[in-house]
Amino acid sequence: MSYTIALAGNPNCGKTTLFNELTGSKQHVGNWPGVTVDKKEGTYKKNKEINVLDLPGTYSLSPYSAEEIVARDYIVKEKPDAVINIVDGASIERNLYLTVQVLETGIPTVIAMNMMDEVERRGDSINCNKLSEILGVPVVPIIARSGKGLDELMKEAQKVATGKKAPGQLQIFGNDIEDAIEEVKGYLTEGTEEDRRWTAIKLLEGDEIILESLHPDTSKLIQEIVQKMDSKCDGDTEAAIADKRYQYIGQIVKKAVKKSHTGHMETRSDKLDKILTNRVLALPIFAVVMYILFAATFSESFLFIPDLPSPGVWLAGIVETAWGALTDLVEGGLTSLGASDWALGLVLSCMDGVGAVAGFLPLVLVLFLLLSFLEDSGYMARVAFVMDRIFRHFGLSGRSFIPLLMGFGCSVPALMASRTLENDKDRKITMMITPFMSCGAKLPIYMMFAVTLFADSNQTLIVFGIYMIGLLVAVLSAFLLGKLIKGDEVSNFIMELPSYRVPTLKSVLIHAWEKVKGFAIKAGTIIFGSTVLIWLLSNFNFSGMCDMEESFLASIGNVIKIIFIPLGFGDWRASVGVVTGWIAKENIVATFGQLFGGVSDEVVEAVSAGEEALPAITAVFSPAAAWAYMAFNLLCMPCFAAVGAIKREMGSWKWTLRAIGYQMATAYVVALVIYWLFGLFY
Amino acid sequence: MALAMVTIGETRTITELRVKEDMKRHLQDLGFTVGEQVCVVGENPSGLILLIKGARIALNRGLATKISVA
Repeated sequence: MSYTIALAGNPNCGKTTLFNELTGSKQHVGNWPGVTVDKKEGTYKKNKEINVLDLPGTYSLSPYSAEEIVARDYIVKEKPDAVINIVDGASIERNLYLTVQVLETGIPTVIAMNMMDEVERRGDSINCNKLSEILGVPVVPIIARSGKGLDELMKEAQKVATGKKAPGQLQIFGNDIEDAIEEVKGYLTEGTEEDRRWTAIKLLEGDEIILESLHPDTSKLIQEIVQKMDSKCDGDTEAAIADKRYQYIGQIVKKAVKKSHTGHMETRSDKLDKILTNRVLALPIFAVVMYILFAATFSESFLFIPDLPSPGVWLAGIVETAWGALTDLVEGGLTSLGASDWALGLVLSCMDGVGAVAGFLPLVLVLFLLLSFLEDSGYMARVAFVMDRIFRHFGLSGRSFIPLLMGFGCSVPALMASRTLENDKDRKITMMITPFMSCGAKLPIYMMFAVTLFADSNQTLIVFGIYMIGLLVAVLSAFLLGKLIKGDEVSNFIMELPSYRVPTLKSVLIHAWEKVKGFAIKAGTIIFGSTVLIWLLSNFNFSGMCDMEESFLASIGNVIKIIFIPLGFGDWRASVGVVTGWIAKENIVATFGQLFGGVSDEVVEAVSAGEEALPAITAVFSPAAAWAYMAFNLLCMPCFAAVGAIKREMGSWKWTLRAIGYQMATAYVVALVIYWLFGLFY
Repeated sequence: MALAMVTIGETRTITELRVKEDMKRHLQDLGFTVGEQVCVVGENPSGLILLIKGARIALNRGLATKISVA
């Protein structure tokens, strides 16, 4: 017989570590329907009959965040065979607040008392037997990081799951509240005895979601009971219930926990926080950390040593070389088999398209390894806090900083990092403006124009100017979208700062691998499809295979160029460049090479060497048009890989299309303004 | 007085939460209840770092002004 065991616990209590220890590599990450909250499932590595489900970290079963709604709906409606409630022994009182609510649901429960090493280090002790006696459920001491106590824990979990024994009712609330619970329960008809008791408690706590699910007549009667209760409890039944729970917890902690000293003793985390969140030092330290992160991922001269590639660039080079060799091999094989031109062309362009994704993978992997390390160590929570003050000015929260900064490297991992944003509105805005941060692949476009059209000007200043346009547009967009998008204001910042820990290699690897795998699959399929489409369009017309000048793509370019006339680049080749840029932005340079009568490989090399590459483009682009074109490609829809990431993180096509629509409109307007402004000067 | 006025290192007792229903619930879930002791352990331009029920919580000053302590 198979069981489902759900893991519930506060954020940062070691729940994910426990999940990784229990399931090993046998896990699957999906999404809870309708919300962007990770749903992690796996099988217990020592018994395939047991499914383990990692519920999102929550402080309570009240509906404050999407995570809390997901967790409580699962426990109450889906009813797992057992719940393992992980409690961080180091902050046991706060953690037990969730525990008493989990026990109220009547689902068979085992408590995993985690961080017992930390508790011992402080010289404290927790009597698990005593706790178990009081709470009426098994309490197993564990150290999730080292795997200590997990066999015992799972044995107990199986026992309660097969026994289906509901935990007993705890004497928490006192007569007044208990009477009210009974009274409310009288109006409820659905579910078991435990279900009705749980629902009654939540109704007294003023839970709107449950109240709305009731028949209007019943809900009116219940509201009357709540109002009557409010007058007995100084106007706030919810606070009174919370108070009773904490009082109860205070009593059991007194009985089962021995503290070596009263008051707060300064810990290692406190000392680190004095430096890392210091009012003066916090920002410079963070800047250095971010620089190292970037250098390790994207730098061509790592640690300022010329020509020493960073781990990311080095790995990307290896993958590209290997992919190139494979492509040559396939080309040779197909040619010797006598494949037709079009078959060869299709296969090779598909391999190029997929190769572009494969080339990104090492960068994404390195970036996420480092970010997972920072996240798991507890530092990211401090960064969000420190940056909050600055980002509040733009209507965003401090947590938006990481995705936006990563956008300068590559939008794809940046968009994936936006998942850590709690506020839905904040996350949507961040995703919509992240592509405005000029990514690495857009740089060759600016270089091409800089070396060809602006050979006499300061080229660094031109490239810098384009980056600044992106930043400015992003800031203005944050303001504008903040007004347009409905949702909770980013009003207050409140977040737990977990204790600093050295992350385990295993958890960092699992964390990073999840992200990379998702990227490879989703982005890979989108890139593959779009590459095939554009290849077909650029190599065929109604009479069959043809040169690019006569292809469908050229015809399309000739039509859409009309749109670009007001922007100064109403030319079919420029229009085609915009389209091929959606496969990968650096494609624009190769496309221009092909269409403006060069050999694309040579043009690409000349551009990267800073030489004048394409004199022919001066006939089409005036300096003002070049600026408009650069700005347009910076701001318009990002590459398909990034669109795939937006779709994945937004979780809806509607919002994906809104994001693209906003980016397109912004690109058009900004390019128009730039063309007009620069037309005045040049 | 408001929690935002407390100097670093001091421990105070919460007397009132003057915030909207939702935030009040969340604060209670995090251990902020009337009568609870809260210690201010750090501050920077973004806000305060507090210790409450053995956990470290960061919050912005705006929110800290709405929590009364004695």
